[in-house]
Amino acid sequence: MSIFIDASTRVLVQGITGNEGSFWTSHMIEMGTEVVAGVTPGKEGQRVHGVPVFHTVRRALEHHGADAAMLFVPPRFTKDAVFEALDSGIRKIVTVADGIPLHEALEIRSAAKACNALVIGGNTSGVISPGKAMMGMFPYWIKRVYAPGRIGVMTRSGSLTNEIASMVVAAGFGISTLVGVGGDSVPGTRFAEVMKLFESDPETDALVIIGELGGTMEEEAAELIASGGCTKPAAAFLGGRTAPEGKRMGHAGAITSGGKGSVREKVAALRDAGVLVAERPSQVGECLKAIMRKGAAGYAEN
Amino acid sequence: MNLFEYQAKELFREAGIPVPQSRLITGTEDIAQAAKSLPLPWMLKAQVLQGGRGKANLIRKAADLQQAQREASDLFASPTGVRTVLVEEIVPFTRELYVSVTVDPVEAKILVLASSSGGVEVETLSQSAPEKLLSLHLEPGKKLLPFQARNLAYGLGLEGKSAISCSTVLVKLFELCAGADAELAEINPLFVTSEGEVIAGDGKIIIDDNAVFRQPRFQMTRDHFSSEVEYAAAQEGIPYLQFDGDISLMCAGAGLTTTVFDLIHDEGSSVANYLEFGGPNYRKAVRAMELCLANPSKVILIVTFGTIARADVMAQGIVDAVRQLKPDRPVVTCIRGTNEEEAFAVLRTAGLEPIFDTEEAVKKAVALTRGEGQV
Repeated sequence: MSIFIDASTRVLVQGITGNEGSFWTSHMIEMGTEVVAGVTPGKEGQRVHGVPVFHTVRRALEHHGADAAMLFVPPRFTKDAVFEALDSGIRKIVTVADGIPLHEALEIRSAAKACNALVIGGNTSGVISPGKAMMGMFPYWIKRVYAPGRIGVMTRSGSLTNEIASMVVAAGFGISTLVGVGGDSVPGTRFAEVMKLFESDPETDALVIIGELGGTMEEEAAELIASGGCTKPAAAFLGGRTAPEGKRMGHAGAITSGGKGSVREKVAALRDAGVLVAERPSQVGECLKAIMRKGAAGYAEN
Repeated sequence: MNLFEYQAKELFREAGIPVPQSRLITGTEDIAQAAKSLPLPWMLKAQVLQGGRGKANLIRKAADLQQAQREASDLFASPTGVRTVLVEEIVPFTRELYVSVTVDPVEAKILVLASSSGGVEVETLSQSAPEKLLSLHLEPGKKLLPFQARNLAYGLGLEGKSAISCSTVLVKLFELCAGADAELAEINPLFVTSEGEVIAGDGKIIIDDNAVFRQPRFQMTRDHFSSEVEYAAAQEGIPYLQFDGDISLMCAGAGLTTTVFDLIHDEGSSVANYLEFGGPNYRKAVRAMELCLANPSKVILIVTFGTIARADVMAQGIVDAVRQLKPDRPVVTCIRGTNEEEAFAVLRTAGLEPIFDTEEAVKKAVALTRGEGQV
């Protein structure tokens, strides 16, 4: 199967009766995702797009097996919802919430690490394997962006993802799985952890990393490649080379301060590890073609 | 949200962390009043959010009243836009330490840092002299226990009373960080006096923006913004950054915005302002364009690639804005995503030629700033 979900993954939707939850559940189903149950406290007995709703995750799981939980829960209730899913034994969780308090994001990641769970997000569009299934909010109907194929994509930014994914597809490739780790400063899962999943995925031939200024996720990715933990060829694009220091552009992750987290350092680290880094979005296709021809090794020398 | 030094020190004082005596003034005329209750000599510290105030000459010493008047009036006239100045007693110290509490996003833990050499060079310390930097990781939700704080304090080479004072401050700073939902709570320098007291010489606290809703005392005020337009935008929930270049940027999403920012610079041009047109703002086209027009920019460039924010809704908003505001400068549109075909049709009805490719749109906008390719 794909690294995170495919058509046979049984998905539980927490917060299914809200506007966003209901809207995107219908799209997840339409795309082929197996949504088995929903959870909203106080709404048991309802159905949303045919999906039965339960008060609690525990009660939902008494009637339906589930492999993953999709959270459409407001940021301030996200920690509770993640812990509820973890407590019921669910080990794959996606949260799209934008605005999870930092100290709660820290607790979420800490709890996930402690039980070997994967929590993707918050502040993300989620995870999609085009043509198979999605957990999140992707405009999969835009075929020039979300075409199935054999490229694994990791990203921190929703808007830039559409831009870069469209370049991947325009170059004749498609996407095996796209993981939005999210734009927060403490995401539940980091690039290097997603790369390990892609490394052992027989359906992924190469990786595209969509990064930006701030944080150290790109450097960690470079470290993993350099240490042999990820051997698949990789291309990257990073936004924010010229961003002024200390100014926030939209979300918490995209900040550079005192030279730390600068795109210059990230690009250098990735190139040192043999990743082909595109200067502009329109070069991503060419970079992919090049790494597919030569493999990562050919670039390690550059 | 960054707090000003005086706000950080208010929190320190409330938490029981010693701070120098001080008065906050908003004009030179407040100097005389301050002198009645705070004996000279003083430090006069401009309350701005930028770092490196010492190097930027935004911190001055004043030995007497006359000098204080002079320095204050000079600070208030600074092009940085100084609105408040913290007048502080001068603390004689024997050592300067560094202590902070922050988060480690990789380990998912709270990180306590302490160094025996505080002051301006602490940022380079992890490279130049890592042995001078002590760190301690704690599970989120856990408290810093007194023994852990003592280990750090004695580890810094402190002895006697100063070691106890320092460990007390560490425990209090740690609690302050959690209680205020801070991303960072930092004291640098932490003065050690000859009597073994410790006093916070400077303070930096960043409140987590995502938790401001439950920290009602921390609200952004006019002082947090460098311009009226930034402030006005923030009042309406529209993220806005002021620069001084040629192109007003209406973009959706941080990643795409920073990329367009890079492309504009690659083409040799510059950004006048960035306005976040995505998320909940995508229906606010008229107001967004109005804010852009408040800039002396030469071109408005709109780049989006929307998921939930529908391209056709954005395009209709832009068309309405153009009709209503009749902008005095060219508008370049690159609006893609859900319902993009409809969006292109809508834009054409208003004579706006939609551009499909981000890089092409940037080139077009830059050419227009140079008076080339007028529509």
